[in-house]
Amino acid sequence: MNLDLTDEERSFRDEARTWLREHLPHEPRPPEGPEMREFDLAWQRTLHDGGWAGINWPAEFGGRGLSDIQQMIWYEEFALADPPFTLANSCTFVGNMHGGPTLIVNGTDEQKARYLPTILRGEEVWCQGFSEPGAGSDLAGLSTRAEVDGDHLVVTGQKTWTSYAHVADLQELLVRTNPDAPKHKGITWVVCDMRSPGIDIRPIRTMSHVTDFCEVFYDEVRIPLANVVGGIDNGWRTAMSTLSFERGTGFMADQVELAATVERLIDEARTRTGPDGVRPAIADDEIARRLATVRAEVAALRAMTIAGISRNARTGMPGAEGSMIRLFHGELHQRVYQLALEVIGPEALRLTPVDGEGVWTGPYLQSFAYTIGGGTTDIQRNIVGERVLGLPRT
Amino acid sequence: MDLLPTPEQDEIVATVRSQLHGDFDLHSLAAADGSPVVVPDELWRRCAELGWFGLGLEESLGGVGYTLAEEALLFAELGAHATPGPFLATVLAARVAALRGADDVAAAVLSGTAPVALGEVEAAGPGDAHLRITDLGGARYVLVVTDDRIALIGADTLDATDDASIDLLVPIATAPIPDLSEAVAELTGVDAAATRHRGTVLVAAQLAGIATGTAEQSVAYAVDREQFGVPIGSFQAVKHRCADMAVRAEAATSQYRLAALALADARADAPFQVAAARVVAADAAVTNAHTNVFNHGGIGFTWEHTAHRYVTRAQVLSRTLGDRRRHLSDLLGEPSPT
Repeated sequence: MNLDLTDEERSFRDEARTWLREHLPHEPRPPEGPEMREFDLAWQRTLHDGGWAGINWPAEFGGRGLSDIQQMIWYEEFALADPPFTLANSCTFVGNMHGGPTLIVNGTDEQKARYLPTILRGEEVWCQGFSEPGAGSDLAGLSTRAEVDGDHLVVTGQKTWTSYAHVADLQELLVRTNPDAPKHKGITWVVCDMRSPGIDIRPIRTMSHVTDFCEVFYDEVRIPLANVVGGIDNGWRTAMSTLSFERGTGFMADQVELAATVERLIDEARTRTGPDGVRPAIADDEIARRLATVRAEVAALRAMTIAGISRNARTGMPGAEGSMIRLFHGELHQRVYQLALEVIGPEALRLTPVDGEGVWTGPYLQSFAYTIGGGTTDIQRNIVGERVLGLPRT
Repeated sequence: MDLLPTPEQDEIVATVRSQLHGDFDLHSLAAADGSPVVVPDELWRRCAELGWFGLGLEESLGGVGYTLAEEALLFAELGAHATPGPFLATVLAARVAALRGADDVAAAVLSGTAPVALGEVEAAGPGDAHLRITDLGGARYVLVVTDDRIALIGADTLDATDDASIDLLVPIATAPIPDLSEAVAELTGVDAAATRHRGTVLVAAQLAGIATGTAEQSVAYAVDREQFGVPIGSFQAVKHRCADMAVRAEAATSQYRLAALALADARADAPFQVAAARVVAADAAVTNAHTNVFNHGGIGFTWEHTAHRYVTRAQVLSRTLGDRRRHLSDLLGEPSPT
């Protein structure tokens, strides 16, 4: 147990701080469409050119090969630099945080050489094709069919809740290759080119007014067998490694950003007039206590993140314990934005965008995604109960 | 940066655990329910021989020479086993006496011959401030903690009245606020604040231990107990409550460890981390202790079962060295930690 940064970590932090001050864009991130994609990819290219892409990716795959602690330091420095956008909202998220890491663990040499560099260089955007209308929490119940035809898979079916499908180049796609096998045994994880003939993408408007959420239809879409990752019918195993990255370290940026959000909210409470119309909001006992409570909880979230990193460093892979952090974070994120609406008074009824400086109501509406996406909190509780605590399955 | 115990720290925890299983079994301790002295002299001296009262005290001050981190690990185990006894005041008093050069007093406290009670000022109404003392029976000294001073006074100097305590293994008495000029050792200013912070970390660790101990108790019962022909832990309603308990315990544990290290290293954000640890741990301990009773159904409501021990201990500890309101206010007054 120690909080010491090594000399290397300390100089990494100082370098990151200086570099971010010089390179962080100041213009706001376009809220949607090709402009947003271009903004996110431009930032990824800036990161790559500066040597900051794939911080915890192995060096042999173009990353820096640094530790998860350094990855966390990077996020903390990013949040401290007062960025005009949220990292977790970037359309480069899937490629960097779970598509790429899944390939690093499960991909062939050819697949790694083909896909990893373009993620890091900001040339290709990835999206996720896991959920279906009939397969949400019961992911293994997915029914999008893929039949082998020569050296191709031919895919027909539908995926949904696919963020950024309309701006993506590639997709991590789960398909059913063997309908006769037990449901976990007939699934295949495959890389799908989003410009393939037979793909139809329809945006879905969310309750937070964002339109980058999509449903994707596949009509006899041909995907080369060479794109299968982890073997035909072995996709459940590959998908579990994707989800362990998504649930393990994928939300670290978000967790770090939440601490900065709470500090901004406390500043708001000091400057905005409170519910009595006279004193600042922070003078209100209820608001003050709730602010202090979430301040304590984001501190604990950071400590849990460090403890999680310590655990991963011992085992070499993110374990089921990541679901504890994910669960705590999702609900805390919502409590913070629910409290924000109390702090900002009349502004609580004025709509803002989801991302940007000084926005609260947009992120409040968006916060509902935090207990649903990446496995609902009910599913996270099942995982904690069964795989961390050893309770019997239902 | 690492928040998991080292192999050496794991060994300390294992030793503490086996000692607590043997000597502080809650079913045997029930014989002491409501009596003024809960831990017999001989058992108290055995704890002293294990070095528990000076674990985090520098060797130059007569201690074992580990740090606050190891001391906090010990207190987490005390919490997890709902172990009674004047551990907190004794550990803090040894430090106060040693720092003030009261070597005889420190030696007596560290050797287990002089247990120390804890005295805190509380107010029942305007003009009715008094001292609330826990574990006064059998104590030689009382560690009086006020906002700006920590003083060690003779236990026999107090005119105390025993109260009925909500926790029958934590005797409580009331006394007029004493004249601290007769103190055998005293800290003020920075030293008092630092010692108070250390105490707060230890209370947070103990509360986190309660959160962990109750989560483990519920999980064990959920695996063991069958209804409708299956273990109740297979039902989502029960499984999810257990998962939430584990998450609260993990949050409280991670944060008390971080706070202990921050304070041991004298980092600038230590007061922030300590207050955060105390807030999160108290919420986790109280909520988990409540949920644990419920998870056990009728048996959890009986005196014989130990679930109620955690409930009342969590209530006592969440009012030890300040209550929730005080720590929330301290936390909001701290600058941003980064």
